[in-house]
Amino acid sequence: MKKRLIGALLVVSMAATMLIGCGAADKDAKKESNTEDTQTEGKVKIGMTLYSLKNEFTVRLANAAEAKAEELGIELVVYDGNYDPSTQISQVETMISDGCDGIILNPQDAEACAPCVDKAADAGIPVVGVNTRVKSDKLTSYVGSIDVTAGEMEMQKIVDLLDGKGNIVIIEGPMGQSAQIERREGIQNILDKYPDIKVLAEKTANWSRSEGMTVMENWLQAFDNIDAVVGENDEMALGAREAIKAAGKDIPAIGVDGITDALNAVEEDNLVASIFQDGAGQGSKAVEVLLDAINGETVEENYWIDFEEVNKDNVEEFKQRAQ
Amino acid sequence: MEKDKEQKIGVKTFIAKYGVIVGLVIIMVFFTVMKAKFLTVENMLNMLRQTSINGLLAIGMTFVVLTGGIDLSVGSIVGASGMFAALVARTEVGMPWYLALLVGLLVGLLLGAVNGVIISYLRVPAFIATLGMLSIARGITFMASDAKPVPGLSKGFLSIGGGSVGFFPIPILILIFVLIICYITLYKTRYGRYVFATGGNPTSARVSGINVKLITCSVYMISGLLSGLAGVILTSRVTSGLAQSGNGYEVDAIAAAVIGGNSLSGGRGRLWGTIIGFLIMGVMNNGLDMMAVSSYWQLVIKGIIIIGAVMLDSLNEIKE
Repeated sequence: MKKRLIGALLVVSMAATMLIGCGAADKDAKKESNTEDTQTEGKVKIGMTLYSLKNEFTVRLANAAEAKAEELGIELVVYDGNYDPSTQISQVETMISDGCDGIILNPQDAEACAPCVDKAADAGIPVVGVNTRVKSDKLTSYVGSIDVTAGEMEMQKIVDLLDGKGNIVIIEGPMGQSAQIERREGIQNILDKYPDIKVLAEKTANWSRSEGMTVMENWLQAFDNIDAVVGENDEMALGAREAIKAAGKDIPAIGVDGITDALNAVEEDNLVASIFQDGAGQGSKAVEVLLDAINGETVEENYWIDFEEVNKDNVEEFKQRAQ
Repeated sequence: MEKDKEQKIGVKTFIAKYGVIVGLVIIMVFFTVMKAKFLTVENMLNMLRQTSINGLLAIGMTFVVLTGGIDLSVGSIVGASGMFAALVARTEVGMPWYLALLVGLLVGLLLGAVNGVIISYLRVPAFIATLGMLSIARGITFMASDAKPVPGLSKGFLSIGGGSVGFFPIPILILIFVLIICYITLYKTRYGRYVFATGGNPTSARVSGINVKLITCSVYMISGLLSGLAGVILTSRVTSGLAQSGNGYEVDAIAAAVIGGNSLSGGRGRLWGTIIGFLIMGVMNNGLDMMAVSSYWQLVIKGIIIIGAVMLDSLNEIKE
């Protein structure tokens, strides 16, 4: 009897603590959201997810965005998407529940990252896409560069170098990624105009320097009439140049992005040129556009940051900008 | 009658045992016919130089697989050791090339030792421990470099991957040297017999007085050390430390060991099989590139070869 009574008391007290506990938690939560509200009134908070923070280009983009945010006096939280669309979706969810006023999205995949935009739109938060495309009509604005142009620019440069006649090889990015497809399209646009330029071989080297080197070594064995190498990015073009130099040859190569190593290579005549993609420009512009959108100003659908050719004459200027 | 049967089994055993060699020969004949420039001294040296990195990883993997383990972290260890070697090898640091090499080897050995201790003494399954290391070593690499390339390496260091003795590229010489040492270690020393025994039947190995934990720990150190060496060669070849270096290399290393007929359940394997394994992969990559075969097909063909080789091997098991 006594035992049963104690038991009953225990049950009651447990239930009571649970109820009280819940109430307390509720109160805490309310308090938190209150402080958040006051915070947002004082300081705008935005989030940014990049498809990766593991390459020089995106790091440069993120650093520029951070600098811009500091200059404008807003808070910016940067997330690393780790090449995974589902990670990016969870990060957007985190930003929404974290009370971000706006989101900058640099998606890994155009289709798979579309839910990021949907979720933010449902929560009434503006999203500015940057650098890579996302397929969604709910995007507030997009800041980027036209990759087709980069392909056209680098191919035209090589055509001019060869006087419109010769044999080339093309080293491609990861098959199916938007930059690979669009840069290849740009290269093709120029090739169509110059039928005397022959493509001996093309293969992906997944943006990687060592893979680019291996592919080029094999092509050098197979063909002895290669006149130029067109790389869809700098890393692969630099890898190809290592292979060419090791074979004791001097075949010109060109790349895209304007990474630090490529700028040095252009300066040392190791690359013909690099097509500079202004990652810093994209990053800071995205922050500006997003802040305008948060403040209720009308923003354009697209903002294009131009690709620029880096050659021996202007490389010094780009080296300073890339700092 | 009796003799006939024996003959038949003989053929089957032969295919199961030496099928991979026949496969390699067939592939090489095919490429030679298709592409005149394939079977030249120059291209063979080129192919071997490219293969040397995967070759080193596959040799280390063979030791691990013989004990019934697996090492998923080799690609990340390549990245980490290559990056630390690059940081030391920069011209502005002014260190001699052998110190940079030593740093790369030590980083590899250390990470391998961590793997080994966690697996053998803390009893975490090899798959999990090395999966963790795959992530940890890559993270360390990014921290050390901030995702930026580390260029400007000293001339001496660059000759490790880019130089040659006579017309023999140094990476190939390193690979041959490592192969000889590992052959002696596996087949001519007590240690080698212990490795086979540990993988074949750990319990009976323990009963017969073998320090199974120490042996298990040591194979991961060997794999780590060889990954470190591969990392140094790769960094020297591409002339700068790159944070993404070696990403995914574990797949090719495991594939080479498996194609060579090393059983993933341990105890049964052969070093020469691994050699054939990485040669097949190197020849395929080189030959298909020379024929300008599309990347999509290259992936499919690689997969078919991995599965096909293990099917050959399972003939052997059925017989047993």
